[in-house]
Amino acid sequence: MHELSIAIEILDIVEREAAKHGAAVVRRVNLRVGDLSGVETESLAFSFDAVKGEKDLTRDTILSIERLPVKIRCTPCDEVFHGAGHMVVCPQCEGFDTQLLQGEELEIEDIIID
Amino acid sequence: MSKKITLEQKVLSRNDILAAELRKLFNEEQVAVMNMVSSPGSGKTSLLEKTLGSLSQNLSIGVIEGDIQTDNDAVRIAKTGVPVYQIQTGGACHLEAEMIRRALVNFDLKSTDLLIIENVGNLVCPSAFDLGEGLRVAVISTTEGDDKPLKYPAMFRSADVMVINKMDLLPYTDFDVQKVTRNAMSLNPEIQILKTSCRTGEGLNEWANFVKNFAHLIVSGV
Repeated sequence: MHELSIAIEILDIVEREAAKHGAAVVRRVNLRVGDLSGVETESLAFSFDAVKGEKDLTRDTILSIERLPVKIRCTPCDEVFHGAGHMVVCPQCEGFDTQLLQGEELEIEDIIID
Repeated sequence: MSKKITLEQKVLSRNDILAAELRKLFNEEQVAVMNMVSSPGSGKTSLLEKTLGSLSQNLSIGVIEGDIQTDNDAVRIAKTGVPVYQIQTGGACHLEAEMIRRALVNFDLKSTDLLIIENVGNLVCPSAFDLGEGLRVAVISTTEGDDKPLKYPAMFRSADVMVINKMDLLPYTDFDVQKVTRNAMSLNPEIQILKTSCRTGEGLNEWANFVKNFAHLIVSGV
């Protein structure tokens, strides 16, 4: 779906940061992807490999993807739960009065350069 | 020596960036924009056909139709007298912000209050493509499964309202309105629910009022 354009965007950000810090090589990109972000891990990894190209800077860059499960806080129960799949309903009281704490992330945490 | 550079930077796709630009433009021009999504055949076009007449008494409306092929839907909408532009994606299973940007030359945004985008019938891909809209409407019909929100969570999570259409057929199906409501709310507790039938007219006034209120909220800049 839209993983290809996300991969291109990641590569743009990485190249910009690498230039800023005078990197010769980018070893690794650590990415955090929430289960509600709508991004498919395998498709993103495939897309990233396709766009990183043959440039010395990124030819061997590893894209490491950490998946973050849905985490919610139920207001009446005052407890934090993992949502089942995409659900944000409280598994204890089955109520809808919940806040989303984690699950929508799509961010580069850090990059490792040489 | 390897060095770690901490970024903690959000990644937006190109579509997200363009959609944000469109949203800014729509806000500046005070155009309320609604994106309608559903499976093929849930009744998006029928809902519009039935209500554009009354809506256009108070609002200046434009419609963008998205389909893979044919201008059949645009022909249907044009009969209501509302300006309509058909996007034929030629195979793509969804509309993207760039297609909307290109379609805008066919409308005078300054004099438009409400722009309605009818997306390609598909519950998967359109959910990932923000079009800069202010309101996303997911239409589901009673001839579909009431577990559809759970099967297509991204779509129902991103929708502001779920319209349950073909209510007249409810007695002939196993569709459970309570169940579908609960399924949608378990993904999206804020989602609003409307029930309509384009055959009997049930709920069409409520639907039209809902759209009117949305448009007035944007146009009056509240």
